[in-house]
Amino acid sequence: MKPAMLSIDSLKSAVLRLPDDVLSATRAAALANLDEHGLPTVQHEDWKYTDLRPAIDISNRWLADGAARPTGGDLSEAIVSVTGSIDADWLVIANGAIDMSHFNSSPGIEIERFSESAAPFVMDRPLADLNAALLQDGLRVQVHAATEKPLGLLIIDDANSGAAVTQVNVEIMVAPGCDVEIVEYQTSSGRDDHYANSVVTLDIGEAAHTGYVRIQERRIGHVQTGRLSVSVGKDARFAMASYDLGGGLVRNDVDIDLGAKGADLVCNGLYLASDGQHIDNHIRIDHRVGPASSSQEFRGILNGRCRCVWNGKAIVHKGADGTDAKQANHNLLLSDNAEIDAKPELEIYADDVKCSHGTTVGQLDEAALFYLRSRGLGRHEAIQALTRAFAADLVGRAPVSAAKTAIAALVDARLAELTLERTS
Amino acid sequence: MLEINNLTARIGDTEILRGLSLSVKAGEVHAIMGPNGSGKSTLAQVIAGHQDYVVTGGTATFNGKNLLDLEPEERAREGVFLGFQYPVEIPGVNNAYLLKAAVNARRQHQGLGEIDAFEFLKLAREKMAMLGMDTKFLNRGVNEGFSGGEKKRNEILQMAMLEPKLAILDETDSGLDIDALKAVAEGVNSLRKPDRAIVLVTHYQRLLDYISPDFVHVLSEGRIIRSGDRTLALELEEKGYDWLREAANG
Ligand SMILES: Nc1ncnc2c1ncn2[C@@H]1O[C@H](COP(=O)(O)OP(=O)(O)O)[C@@H](O)[C@H]1O
Ligand SMILES: [Mg+2]
Repeated sequence: MKPAMLSIDSLKSAVLRLPDDVLSATRAAALANLDEHGLPTVQHEDWKYTDLRPAIDISNRWLADGAARPTGGDLSEAIVSVTGSIDADWLVIANGAIDMSHFNSSPGIEIERFSESAAPFVMDRPLADLNAALLQDGLRVQVHAATEKPLGLLIIDDANSGAAVTQVNVEIMVAPGCDVEIVEYQTSSGRDDHYANSVVTLDIGEAAHTGYVRIQERRIGHVQTGRLSVSVGKDARFAMASYDLGGGLVRNDVDIDLGAKGADLVCNGLYLASDGQHIDNHIRIDHRVGPASSSQEFRGILNGRCRCVWNGKAIVHKGADGTDAKQANHNLLLSDNAEIDAKPELEIYADDVKCSHGTTVGQLDEAALFYLRSRGLGRHEAIQALTRAFAADLVGRAPVSAAKTAIAALVDARLAELTLERTS
Repeated sequence: MLEINNLTARIGDTEILRGLSLSVKAGEVHAIMGPNGSGKSTLAQVIAGHQDYVVTGGTATFNGKNLLDLEPEERAREGVFLGFQYPVEIPGVNNAYLLKAAVNARRQHQGLGEIDAFEFLKLAREKMAMLGMDTKFLNRGVNEGFSGGEKKRNEILQMAMLEPKLAILDETDSGLDIDALKAVAEGVNSLRKPDRAIVLVTHYQRLLDYISPDFVHVLSEGRIIRSGDRTLALELEEKGYDWLREAANG
């Protein structure tokens, strides 16, 4: 098959149609980068398992159609159902438009829009360039003091007026010594194709603690690429857990930079996939100095015809002595058609380093299944209990306590649906 | 209650049950004895519906229903209970969850509503006290990290909660110290009722000192080669199995 190319000409004209504002220069620079490098194809090592053609195809159709900001249906009910399920102060970005009506301002938090202040920093990455080239606004959040409730970031889309694309960009800065919890929640609906491309940049100050939960429950069939770039300060702690429950083609890039001594990082994730889903988690952790510790644990439950990718990379740079890096990835495959590509990677250039990794791929424990059924549990109920048990630990360790109940309910509901195919 | 006629079953290519017949009526306690490898556990697993055992001939009915047509969970809901020789450890699945789900599956089948949380706890505590089990076991994973004796008590706890019509206990006595054995025997005896049948699979006479069976059967090479009353167990204790095997083969 011929690699689909992003139609740069229509992208250019779409960018040129945007009004001249503080973001114009950033858009132009990003566009030039894209023009030169294009989007990655499966020839790139980092994109070997994930083919962006569906994202490119949706983008091209949307661009050809005039590249309008999607209108979609009325999202107020869907928004409230999310904001009501997790007690947080919510920043909402609905169909690409910022909606501050669910946010209760708190003295510790300062928020400004890119359009009214300055452009965000743009990383040298093709999808970040695509994001910046089309950027019309975004949020810069500064957390100066601990907040009572978690900070919520709801990215919600509805595609009902033709193929649609949204770009979201948020910068969060956590001041030194500050404790904050953040929930990023991405969801979507609608009968038409949708592609969401998000960039979240998180800067955690010295001795600050940040808990970050990322929930992704987009409509199966919708496309998401998301980048989370984190820099963790001296003696700071960052604990994150992601829950990928929906989406068609999903690619998450998490880059975490441990550039100062004493940083402590936990990066966990759960992905649940069935027919038609492709969920790729690419994690990159840069240990630049030591001592510092990082720990990754990803778990997946796959059924039907689907594919998941986990690439956990830890780079221990020269001089980062005293690094402790752990990686684990465990998968439960319920179907012969499910595929997992698990790739732990450790690149070590320092001397005094403790590293470990482990990957497992297993099937459902048939002895346990029979035992449960012999007690009267139906096949489906027994499979649900076993898969829930497999996921339970990561749900229980969600680093935002206000989100735990909602996560457990979402995971349960998704498992109930995902395991159904095996019960006949 | 349970009628098994000329049952043959294999696992893989190996024929293990080779024409086994057994009739168990309500109110009766049967003991099935026999040397290791004679097919006792196979019989128990076939009755419970384990998918790895393929029934190749014969019949098995439970209260007139063809047992072999039923899924394992349907058998359980009809009132068949198997106490496993090797209870399975299921980390992450809560013991209380399993007990409650099992009780409710049975109740739903009987047209009853779900047990309420208070009633459930009361019942579980009561049964656990009888079995000398700490209630902390309720919040552990099913059999997760349990000692051999704890696992067996947990099987009896499940049986006591489920109040089956037919309980098959596969070597529930093996590996138990005398206190555990007594607790298990007490649990079983408390369930002896005119409308319930119990099949004890064992290869020791020991359990039968505490639970007196109405019938004793000797299983050898997939067949019942001798049936008798409880004195047969005493005879086996004295003489072993070989005299019977010789008699059966000769
Ligand atoms: N999963 C299995 N695969 C192959 N052979 C088996 C399996 N389970 C049991 N067997 C064989 O079947 C025979 C009967 O075993 P079993 O029913 O466990 O005997 P018992 O419970 O009387 O000791 C033995 O010879 C045993 O080796
Ligand atoms: Mg046995």
